[in-house]
Amino acid sequence: MGKGKRVLTGTYFEMGNWACAEGAIAAGCEFVAGYPITPASEIINRLAQRLPLTGGTLLQTEDEISAICSAIGASWAGCKALTATSGPGISLMQENIGFAVATETPLVIVDVQRLGPSTGVPSVGLTADIVQVARGSHGDYQIIALCPESPQEMFDLTIRAFNLAERYRVPVFLMADGFIGHMREQIVIPDEDRIEIEHRTIPEPGIAPMERQDFLDVTVAPMPVFGRGLKAHVTSSCHDEHGMRNLSDPEIMHRYISAPIDKILIHRDDIIQIETDCEGVDVVMVSYGTVSRSARAAARLAQADGLKVGTFRMLTCWPFPDKEIRQMSECVDYMLVLENNKGQLYPYIKAEAAHACQVEFLGPQTLGQIHDPHYILSHIKEMIP
Amino acid sequence: MAKITLLTDSCKGVEDCGICIFVCPKHVLIESGEMNEAGYLPPTVRDETLCTGCENCMISCPDFAIVVEKDSQEASDTGGGRDG
Amino acid sequence: MSVSAHPYRRYMREHVRGTTTCPGCGNGIITQAILRAIEELGQDMDDFVFVSGIGCASWIPSPLFAADTLHTTHGRPIAFATGLKLGLPGKNIMVISGDGDLAAIGGNHLIHAARRNIGLTVILVNNGIYGMTGGQTAPTTPRGVTTITSPYGSLEHPFDICAMVAAAGAPYVARWTTYHPRQMTRSITKALQKNGFALVEAISQCPVQFGRAAKLGKAIDMLKYYKSKSVNWKRARDLGEEELRGKIIVGEFVDMEKPELASQWTRLKEELMEG
Repeated sequence: MGKGKRVLTGTYFEMGNWACAEGAIAAGCEFVAGYPITPASEIINRLAQRLPLTGGTLLQTEDEISAICSAIGASWAGCKALTATSGPGISLMQENIGFAVATETPLVIVDVQRLGPSTGVPSVGLTADIVQVARGSHGDYQIIALCPESPQEMFDLTIRAFNLAERYRVPVFLMADGFIGHMREQIVIPDEDRIEIEHRTIPEPGIAPMERQDFLDVTVAPMPVFGRGLKAHVTSSCHDEHGMRNLSDPEIMHRYISAPIDKILIHRDDIIQIETDCEGVDVVMVSYGTVSRSARAAARLAQADGLKVGTFRMLTCWPFPDKEIRQMSECVDYMLVLENNKGQLYPYIKAEAAHACQVEFLGPQTLGQIHDPHYILSHIKEMIP
Repeated sequence: MAKITLLTDSCKGVEDCGICIFVCPKHVLIESGEMNEAGYLPPTVRDETLCTGCENCMISCPDFAIVVEKDSQEASDTGGGRDG
Repeated sequence: MSVSAHPYRRYMREHVRGTTTCPGCGNGIITQAILRAIEELGQDMDDFVFVSGIGCASWIPSPLFAADTLHTTHGRPIAFATGLKLGLPGKNIMVISGDGDLAAIGGNHLIHAARRNIGLTVILVNNGIYGMTGGQTAPTTPRGVTTITSPYGSLEHPFDICAMVAAAGAPYVARWTTYHPRQMTRSITKALQKNGFALVEAISQCPVQFGRAAKLGKAIDMLKYYKSKSVNWKRARDLGEEELRGKIIVGEFVDMEKPELASQWTRLKEELMEG
């Protein structure tokens, strides 16, 4: 095993958090800031050892607020930056998540979700942060959230998260949970040349700030990183396309809010990934994250009973796959929404689907334990006449 | 001899500031009674020949409204009455 | 040929025509003290990244300075600056912000940055009050002063920020008032040359909020106050508690060398990647 190799090509049996750390390094991560928190700590533990060998820096901060702030600072220094935490840490980071969005800062934030609210149960995976990451900061904004269901996907989607962050100059969340974070499964790390990585574009030197567009471009403005004489002005106050503060012109206020949102939404087809197995079915189970494994098992049981049941898995929950859900709803009679929480995305899904099919929500029978596939199957049988 | 330039458009006035007058050891600057465009009352130079070029006013002006040129050649040429 | 513009305009963004400070505010004196230090060191604005938080002092570099500028959320400039310094170890990272921003909400970041000795130059502008939001009590407001949130007189004791940062381990700590602009510039040049966490606390008059609250009067009354109350710390060491009551102790309290974090990281990574 090469000491300073970015890509540890091979097949492993390791926990999801390990895979996430390796995915970050494979993606070219250069700066990590983090604060220990169960069930995410293994990510920064692994990165503390591996990252410096590949030329990166790891800062263990005094709190999660400092973690996200220093990661944003490092991103503006030109580094690909990551922080990893759990629900309570995301709650602390909310104000500066808003800062990252408002200043169009590429950033990867790993949330290894745990049972809340509050301190809750640190080592049990629930996925009840899915709305927090999109709506927890004040104001109107759009982020990207990717939802792995396995340690392998914690590797693959971490790389995708970095690429999307660089492509769209936005914070990207990796929504893992305590189950897949700590679970060991097979992980395949491919050859380095099979991994595509992207970098933010940077403006050419020599153009003055008032002649450049540094922000508010829905096609993504080149990022005027610091240290190159670009004299960028970066503020989370309402600003114009040059980054200069403006608190009096409503046209600028409108663009300050709308342009970063539109930047994500007009590229939603590029960003959203859905995995389906629902050709010709009457019932589809809509899910994301770890519970999708139960959904697939339930589908197999249902099919064995002669029922036409399929799965629709959202690998991307934000931007919200409204179009895909709507199209799906028009192909089935019943849609069963499975979430490992009390139904956080359910209202959004129902809003898109209820006009075309019957939509129901099924949370875990016991919160803290993932849905048993037989429990799901019995509910499906109750749903259909 | 020193030369003082008052950039009066940058000045925020003697009434609530007036720091330049306060820090000047030679009472070179006084109230002018004239308003600038922003409505403030900048100071004026009472007697430039008294200026020693200490730069206190320039250094203490919060608004970059004063420039002092020590040993200004032009001041020596055009000013009068002060030896060495 | 007469001077048509201040020579320091060359450090400022062309389209920014003036400062937004109140008449008599000390922040402009500090701004000039900083630029004088940069000029004296022969440095360029592109050698810097300026980081500021929220409050009047945070408007010193933003939008005025023609340089890379990061204007952060309240209390956090030091946290952002830490990541910046680790990503750009060769640049001067200067944090300019106020006492509320850096020592109240940002207090934890201040002491940890000093502790880990990250190479930042921090100009902490201390006006004893929350000026921008209308004059609320700050952790630096003297006990007994009446403010809009302590209308019966503040019952709390204020921080000695320099003592706190020195105790956290910073290798350079100094305090001056706006009555001491030359000494302030000298300390800022030393701070900029220090390879480590360097704090210059700049006591600054806020006539509109603090001057009114503490009944100190206008700008020049406050400068007279600073002049009369300032005592150099070397002399202060020989004074008793009674004599020091109400005094502003100024000077350079700490000036030493210790390994700086970003430099250590650079060295560590070189060693690891070679080995």
